[in-house]
Amino acid sequence: MGKHYRPAGKKKEGNAAKYVTRTQAIRLLQISLPLFRKLCILKGITPREPKKKFKGNDKTYYHVKDIAFLHHEPLLEMHRAIRVHERKIKKAEAKKNVERANRLREKTPKPKIDRIIRQRYPRFVDALGELDDCLTMVHLFATVPATKEKKIDVDLIHKCRKLAHEWQAFIARTHRLRKTFVSVKGIYYQAEVEGQTITWLTPHALQQVVPDDVDIPTMLNFLQIYQPLLGFVNFHLYHSINLKYPPLLDPELEAEAAVYGLIRYAQSNNKPTILETSELVESEQLESKQDGPEIQNKKSELRLAQLQHQLPSNEPGALMHLVEKAAGEDGEEYDDETKQCKNLFQNVKIFLSREVPRESLHFVIPAFGGMVSWEGEKAPFAETDQSITHQIVDREAQGHRFLSREYVQPQWVFDCVNARIILPTENYMVGRIPPPHLSPFVDYGEEGSYVPDYAKTIKHLQAAARKEVLPLPGVEKDLEDPQNLLAEGIIDRAAANQAAKEKQKLMILEKQYHEDLKKELQGATYTSAGSTEVIQTGESLNNGQANIDDVDMAELVMPNKKRKLLKAMEISNQRKQSKNDTIIRRKKKLDEAQNQRS
Amino acid sequence: MVELDNQKEEPIPSDYNEDSDDSDSTQHSDESDFEDSSADKDGDSSSGSSDSDSDSKSELEDGSPAQDNSGDSEDAESQDEDDVKSEGGSEGSDIHQEGVGGDESDSSEDEVAPRNTIGEVPLKWYEDEPHIGYDIKGKKIKKKEKEDKLGSFLANVDDSKNWRKIYDEYNDEVVELTKDEIKIVRKLMKNQAPHTDFDPYPTYVDWFKWDGAKHPLSNAPEPKRRFIPSKWEAKKVVQYVRAIRNGSITFDKPKEEDDAYLLWEDDSGLTEKANHLAYVPAPKQKLPGHDESYNPPLEYIPTQEEINSYQLMYEEDRPKFIPKRFTSMRSIPAYENAMKESFERCLDLYLCPRVRRKRLNIDPESLKPKLPNKKELKPYPITCYIEYKGHEGAVTSISVEASGQWMASGSSDGTVRVWEVETGRCLRRWEIGEAVNCVTWNPLPDIHILAVSVGQDVLLLNTGLGDEEEQQRIKELLLVDSPKASEETGKKAPSVSWLKDDKHDGIRLRHLKTVTSVEWHRKGDYFSTVMPAGESRSVLIHQLSKKLSQKLPFKLHGLAVRSTFHPSRSIFFICTKKTVRVYDLLKRKLIKTLYTGLKEASSIAVHPGGDNLIVGSKEGKLCWFDMDLSAKPYKTLKCHPKDINNVVFHRSYPLFASCSDDSTAYVFHGMVYSDLNQNPLIVPLEILRGHANSNGRGILDCKFHPRQPWLFTAGADKLIKLYCHY
Repeated sequence: MGKHYRPAGKKKEGNAAKYVTRTQAIRLLQISLPLFRKLCILKGITPREPKKKFKGNDKTYYHVKDIAFLHHEPLLEMHRAIRVHERKIKKAEAKKNVERANRLREKTPKPKIDRIIRQRYPRFVDALGELDDCLTMVHLFATVPATKEKKIDVDLIHKCRKLAHEWQAFIARTHRLRKTFVSVKGIYYQAEVEGQTITWLTPHALQQVVPDDVDIPTMLNFLQIYQPLLGFVNFHLYHSINLKYPPLLDPELEAEAAVYGLIRYAQSNNKPTILETSELVESEQLESKQDGPEIQNKKSELRLAQLQHQLPSNEPGALMHLVEKAAGEDGEEYDDETKQCKNLFQNVKIFLSREVPRESLHFVIPAFGGMVSWEGEKAPFAETDQSITHQIVDREAQGHRFLSREYVQPQWVFDCVNARIILPTENYMVGRIPPPHLSPFVDYGEEGSYVPDYAKTIKHLQAAARKEVLPLPGVEKDLEDPQNLLAEGIIDRAAANQAAKEKQKLMILEKQYHEDLKKELQGATYTSAGSTEVIQTGESLNNGQANIDDVDMAELVMPNKKRKLLKAMEISNQRKQSKNDTIIRRKKKLDEAQNQRS
Repeated sequence: MVELDNQKEEPIPSDYNEDSDDSDSTQHSDESDFEDSSADKDGDSSSGSSDSDSDSKSELEDGSPAQDNSGDSEDAESQDEDDVKSEGGSEGSDIHQEGVGGDESDSSEDEVAPRNTIGEVPLKWYEDEPHIGYDIKGKKIKKKEKEDKLGSFLANVDDSKNWRKIYDEYNDEVVELTKDEIKIVRKLMKNQAPHTDFDPYPTYVDWFKWDGAKHPLSNAPEPKRRFIPSKWEAKKVVQYVRAIRNGSITFDKPKEEDDAYLLWEDDSGLTEKANHLAYVPAPKQKLPGHDESYNPPLEYIPTQEEINSYQLMYEEDRPKFIPKRFTSMRSIPAYENAMKESFERCLDLYLCPRVRRKRLNIDPESLKPKLPNKKELKPYPITCYIEYKGHEGAVTSISVEASGQWMASGSSDGTVRVWEVETGRCLRRWEIGEAVNCVTWNPLPDIHILAVSVGQDVLLLNTGLGDEEEQQRIKELLLVDSPKASEETGKKAPSVSWLKDDKHDGIRLRHLKTVTSVEWHRKGDYFSTVMPAGESRSVLIHQLSKKLSQKLPFKLHGLAVRSTFHPSRSIFFICTKKTVRVYDLLKRKLIKTLYTGLKEASSIAVHPGGDNLIVGSKEGKLCWFDMDLSAKPYKTLKCHPKDINNVVFHRSYPLFASCSDDSTAYVFHGMVYSDLNQNPLIVPLEILRGHANSNGRGILDCKFHPRQPWLFTAGADKLIKLYCHY
């Protein structure tokens, strides 16, 4: 009888009872591996890590309950029905009964995803919290070429594009965008919706290549859940600002500036609701409380103007009351950050030239309250408009230059957004190499992290803007060249450090001297004792050692687990430090090279 | 139909005409040729293409009244007339034609009949002849002179009508196709009727005249079925209706658009418990740093050398992303790995087990346990005070006398020395002649006997200390009358024989195998020796007063390393390589086995309380056992990187120490509380350095002073050191 013999009929226990391998699961469900994968993707079931891998380390384990969960899934039955249906179609085709085949094809049962979405994300916030991957994937597929051999459908791509535009329109309309970052991989956006931070990546507006080593069916499986998910989320969000979903879009605008068109649609469709409500003061007040987030400053001004028309002029008190109400309301609906975002480009009118990432700028500029136009038939204002303050140009243009506006590179917009201030444009002029574009996701709070020069410059500018005090001429010079200022600071600090160190050294020396004296006295008593050799090792030596010992001592008593953890932490810290050091070293070299040149 | 006939027949009359012409004017062939050709042309054009320009021109030339060409209902006769007229016209314009086309060839003639009369014979027969055949009169027709190819090519290139010329081999002449002929050819190529005017789908002309009819063609009355709804149709409808009602006919449902709706309508009061396991959301992707920017600060871009050095790294260590810099946004290319990275993320999402792991975002220092202040745990040995020099080999073993005044040491140079502790004076010296393994004082303060293990022997030496009374007792003890074998007398050779050692004035116990350690019982009468190679007799217990030796009545599992007595009870510990076995000597049974979990234990020491013991091992680990607690170590300290040679407890202070081949000795505070609920407190206090490493060996032995918190260490560098607490 083997060691692991288990009598027949005896129940399994422990990990063997809790987990099954993938093969076991597939046999239990009586489905094929691709279908199993698909179900796992749709239902969000992942393998588990049992404490003891009873069938070997190379196996994938699933929890028995997860598999039971799949077993009761109506989707499983649905896919069986689909398989039967496909066989019917095949038969009809083999009999050259095209009509029947087509009819059957149309009648193929379609799995419903909404129930699964509700199950996976019971609350709306849950769905928002996991929207990152969904958005990234949908945005990616909006740029992928439709190919028949890869089974990427045109409709799918159009739908993805539509959903992406709708999402962007909502974010821009409600000014929820917080950070942007132009990376080599694409453009990262970070938005805050209902307290959830959502980051997504959109590829650059160039067509993607579909490599052969990518398994497209898997990605399409993911898209099968992501697409409806984003649809439902968009619906919910549009519903929350009293907009009809799906939004209707001017087809001409769609080709040129879909996002911009959607944003405008959202804004224009909001207005009438307010116009209607502004008939009675009382009802209006109630309404305004209800339809919260869609109201904004501009709207309330507009409403006030209308009310002024309607109200008898001898009731200023009521009007004042309303003003206060509106103001208070605004404070409620928009937190400070959103307000700040909304007003960033308030007084800026931007015109986009050719060769700039138009789609991205159409999204970003309105999201931060700016006005934007472009070269095109449906553009809101023409290039010749004198009130344009900035024109975004990437390549030096030969055409007419207006003196009333500044010609900047597109990076200026992204940097302004990240810094939340309007940055001075001289560095971003056309034809110059712009200052480095920094990631807004880096946290400088961590001690010892490297801060690039330009980050410091921006910090200065931000501080200056916050105080709303124009920098004095002398200070301005410093601000312009913050590197100098910083260098001075560094020198000061370094000097202070050195002084402190010297002081410490002196103290140590003094102490050592005293101890030596003491030692000598003791040593003398011993030398008189006889033929012994008295060692006069200064305690200073031991003292220096003591510190090292102290550290080691604590480590000695630690349990193995903790000690290993400590080691791992130390190693990771070291790695971080070494990365930092390389950057600092490079920076030093660069500075040296620059100094030599100048 | 009429029109069609007309046209079909048309060429025939003209042919007849020409034939007749030919037959008439056979003598003047050339002139008639001209006439014919023109006549033929005119006739063709006028008849063939109803609307061609040439046609109208010829008519104008003829001066004939404008004929209605489109009036196709003309008879063949009128057509003939027309032909005649045109002939007449052409006669009139004869001179004019001559003037224009004087050098024109007589090609049109052969339409009448082939010039050549050879019939259907192979043309090959005439290949070599100067003529091609015979004309109608039997004259030879000469072959034309052949143009050279270049000439003909050049002529062809210049001639815009070249494409409609065909060489007729039979008649040896070039024929130029007319426009109409080409049209016919084209039509034929398209599989259409050759004539342009042929209409394959003419409108039907009804021959019956309905207008004036007084009576209908059929006099039958209108049938009833024309007025009433069909009975059979009604039946069929009823059948369908019933079938639909029964449900045997189903309709396709209108195609459903899976539109979005308000899915999360009321998720505020959501309390329903999910029927599946707790869901672990996937970790979010790492946010990009400065290095991923399209225009990162210059210091983030690796130099070419650094990029090259990446190639030397292992593939796992290689950075996956190398920062690049673009000077403007328009120059950013599409990211080639976008799809791949997205796909990898997908794989991670559905193939990776998700485990909630606590991410410790703490200072690593905080992980370290807080140790009590060392100052409060004083006194303990800190500094080296005295070095005892004199040995010429590594000092393998030391032992301190019970009063603490004397210290004995054995060395690999074959000497045993006795030192005065306080002064460092070497009191006595024995030349044993063999490397000493172990030296131990008798624990009783009045019996100054030293047990020394040397190879296979254990020597009991009289140190000569103490007053005369004591000396007398010692001498009595060390008196062996005759060689005496230990207990069993029989077949087996005695494991130990007690001999008198004259040279050193003591007793020599001859063992079978090398003795590695000697340990005294607290009462000073018994002592045990360990021979690791001695198999069943590896641990022996000797009684000094009776000069008796006996082996342990227990089976030892594993190789014995050390043995020691319990400080207060009759319990005996044997340390084997992996376990510590605890025996009750009175009851003669095994009490306990302690599992060290070590690979190879090297030393053992028992706490003076008797309930705790420490075991040192050759992998540098130190195990503390609380025997009341468990058979497994209470704490394992990994302090030495090399073999631990000895571990030792202090008799009165809560101290213990370990010494190792890495030339260090650790001093620990090991407090055992009388309260059983409180675990022993172990605090590392000091690392004692100072010994030098020689031949890979460091400190070979360490012992505490019996009264003072002092530690003696014996090094392989021939030195003995004393560490004191001040």
